[in-house]
Amino acid sequence: MTQSGEPVIRVADLRKCYGEVKAVDGVSFEVARGEVFGMLGPNGAGKTTTIEVLEGLRAPDSGTVTVFGLDVVHHPEAIKQRIGVQLQSVSLYPRLTVTELLDLFGSFFSHHLPTKQLIDAVDLGDRAKARSMNLSGGQQQRLSIALALVNDPELVFLDEPTTGLDPQARRSLWDLIKGLQEKGKSVMLTTHYMEEATELCDRVAIMDHGHILEMGSVPDLIGRRFKERAVFFDSAPKLPVDQLAGLAGVTRAAREDGQTVLYSKDVPGTIGALLSTADGLNVEPHNLGIRQATLEDVFLDLTGRALRD
Amino acid sequence: MKTLLGLTVANVKSLVRDRAALFWTIFFPIMFVFLFGWIFGGGGDTRISVGFVDQDGTAVSASLRQAFAAVPLLTLQDGTLDAEKAAMQHGDVSAVIVIPKGLQAALVQTRSGHPASVAIQLYGDPSQNQTTQVVQGAVAQVANGFNLEAQGGSAILTVSRESLQSTNLSNVAYLVPSILAMALMQLGVFAAIPLVQQREKGILKRIGATPLPRWKLVGSNILLRLMVAVVDAVLILGIGIVFFNVQIVGSLPASAGVVLLGATTFLAIGFMLASFLKTEEQATGVVQVVQIPMMFLSGIFFSFDFLPGFLQTVARLMPLTYLGDAMRQVMVNGTQVAPLGVDLAVLTGWLVVCLAISARSFRWE
Repeated sequence: MTQSGEPVIRVADLRKCYGEVKAVDGVSFEVARGEVFGMLGPNGAGKTTTIEVLEGLRAPDSGTVTVFGLDVVHHPEAIKQRIGVQLQSVSLYPRLTVTELLDLFGSFFSHHLPTKQLIDAVDLGDRAKARSMNLSGGQQQRLSIALALVNDPELVFLDEPTTGLDPQARRSLWDLIKGLQEKGKSVMLTTHYMEEATELCDRVAIMDHGHILEMGSVPDLIGRRFKERAVFFDSAPKLPVDQLAGLAGVTRAAREDGQTVLYSKDVPGTIGALLSTADGLNVEPHNLGIRQATLEDVFLDLTGRALRD
Repeated sequence: MKTLLGLTVANVKSLVRDRAALFWTIFFPIMFVFLFGWIFGGGGDTRISVGFVDQDGTAVSASLRQAFAAVPLLTLQDGTLDAEKAAMQHGDVSAVIVIPKGLQAALVQTRSGHPASVAIQLYGDPSQNQTTQVVQGAVAQVANGFNLEAQGGSAILTVSRESLQSTNLSNVAYLVPSILAMALMQLGVFAAIPLVQQREKGILKRIGATPLPRWKLVGSNILLRLMVAVVDAVLILGIGIVFFNVQIVGSLPASAGVVLLGATTFLAIGFMLASFLKTEEQATGVVQVVQIPMMFLSGIFFSFDFLPGFLQTVARLMPLTYLGDAMRQVMVNGTQVAPLGVDLAVLTGWLVVCLAISARSFRWE
């Protein structure tokens, strides 16, 4: 992550209502040049509205929003020349071919990349003459990213780029997005997949109900809430939770999904104490494991509900 | 200009590759030209209205009238010569048969050994050759029958042909400009469907995220439709001229002007519809609800004088009534529903109002 100079995006106290609904309710953040910034949140959190204000597709009700230091309300055309946009689930002129679409979109910009280069960049070489309606979901998303890159943008917006894709297609898109950062582009993406945010983003803003609840790098976000790691196991009969809570390093003990989970600041100490306690009670713990807290846990902790509700 | 052209090409490709859209915008009206051309042009099974003028006013001419009335193809309409000629010019009758004064006298003279003859005058429209020939054949047959019966083949009755330009509502010359008007109506109204489709799919929004100015997006849609309008006009008029002997008597610039005004007006209606429709299914349904009544009530296939009063009132509100009328007046000297100026004014009025509504209400997403 290289951060230098003026941020490419600066949002201060952005608000946007649809009738009674406050879609975005006082959001502020910055994205540095070269950074991959993610907005993570469930459907309806306000991610898409925020990104569409940045793309110049919606006017904010209030707040200051600048891209490349230009105000989005007053200089949308200048900004649009320099950004790349991928919208959530758009199918483009279904009867035009990949090549035709890239040529067409290229013609909208004052300067654009050769179509062949774009097709190769997203690995659609063998589908160059296929009509967009005949592409698979993953190929359509790749085309959609190629269209976002047609003007060789400095900043790329990706709105849920992998929603609805199978795991393999998702992985290949992730590689593509990582490649964008290597080429020095700044990326802002939204997602409701925490693995995606973990995998791709330098920093993440967790959004819910129009607010940013927490913002930072993924390890930071986890570390801020979860100093402990979780030691989990099965056993029969169950060991008493009260007794386990007193073991070395344990801050909290609980049963989750039939497993016993010990949150520990001192994993080796806890495991040692656990094994000797179990031995003393003549019980053998099965499926013993350790895991780090995840973004999912952070979200759960912040909102009291799971991400994919 | 280059981007506008590029977008228009993209729209043309989308249309040409969409078989359903292609059918409605081009083949459907052509199908109508052939269908109605065959029904009204070559067919012998439609009755032809003929004006009947009896200037003799005797028992003999009355029996001759009965003979004409017995011809299954003809429907007689009695009147004075002036009235029937006027009716023919208005398209109410296709031909006029005149039994001259002196018929009975000639018969009496012939029977008394002094052969005399009179000529039936037949007014026909040479531009409607088929109809005229059918009537002429019928007249010749009746005259022959009369001559045989009256005096063993001696020619008391002859037929003289007169030319008179007419407008016949049941012929192809009337139908071809009408079908072109219908095609332009459909072209414009159906434009709502791809617009709604492109909005629903997010294409309009996606293009909105590029620096492309919106007027170019709208402009390319208009350009596409106007191009198709020209193709429709050339094909439909061409088929009318080549296959059905239609004569376009009006000036080319005036005809082209009416075609473009009509196409633009109905495009504005299409845009207005697209402003209020949200889904493609809705658009498909509403477009039919708008176009089908217009197709049948606007005097496209038959003069709306036949409609009951309240439907005539409805028809007089429909823009297609005026486009069809203007088109017929300009191209084939058709009878008027309204003066040409009124037609053009009504169309322009629809155009302005629909454009204003679209400009206010059109949503890009």
